[in-house]
Amino acid sequence: MSDELAKLPPEVQQRLLRLQQLQQTLQSVLAQKQQVEIELTEIEQALSELQKTADDTVIYKAIGSLLVKAEKEKVTADLNERKELLNTRAKVLGKQEERIRTQLKELQTKLQQDLSPVSPST
Amino acid sequence: MASKTEETLRKLSVEMRFLEQTAEAIQSRINMINAVITDLTYANMTLEGLEKEKENSELMVPIGGNSYIKARLANPNQVIVGMGAGISVEKTLQEAKDIIKNRLENLEKSKANLQQQLAQVAEKMNEDKEKFDRLMTELREGKKPKNV
Repeated sequence: MSDELAKLPPEVQQRLLRLQQLQQTLQSVLAQKQQVEIELTEIEQALSELQKTADDTVIYKAIGSLLVKAEKEKVTADLNERKELLNTRAKVLGKQEERIRTQLKELQTKLQQDLSPVSPST
Repeated sequence: MASKTEETLRKLSVEMRFLEQTAEAIQSRINMINAVITDLTYANMTLEGLEKEKENSELMVPIGGNSYIKARLANPNQVIVGMGAGISVEKTLQEAKDIIKNRLENLEKSKANLQQQLAQVAEKMNEDKEKFDRLMTELREGKKPKNV
């Protein structure tokens, strides 16, 4: 495979390498985005559960493996702050994803042109 | 005609690989759900057991490594239930049981849904495999392919 690659013109090799790099970056961005989305869902669920509880309910916050008593108001504020931060992060990752996909599409088109065999004259 | 068959075979091969990956991803989610179901079932069993215990009952609390420490049940009607995002809320035993039951029901629904998806993917994989094998035989025998 590497021998065949070596036979390609250097600029095509460069493009193929760039394509692989972009695909890896896209995978990494997608994994991060998924992680952020999972965390956001969890926060939204926790906020919705907190909303249903009475103000005097005893609430605990995890600090490492310990559970420490906390106030509902403070916990809700912390969760909302975290939610806002994660929403911003999700937007940034979404834009990154969009940009990488566009770059990938352009590169794939170029590579298809580079690698397409010369059509035989009929 | 042979090149058309080859092209179909190539497409089928790509599709089969994609379906295989999809099936693996679905199976992995089912496994995750099963692990959570086991965990919640265990919690539910513990709560049902605790329900019968009185205050100050002596308990053995597992600390891992098949080892235990002795403890006393301060209040059998107080259970701390995790709500996600590192937040836990104090609930009565009955409330905790209801929450766990509800979570178990939701997980069973998700699992059934995923199992259905997995069955559909497996069916499509079998169809593709049959088609692939048929075309391969035709190609090998140099026959004209029938309807694909």
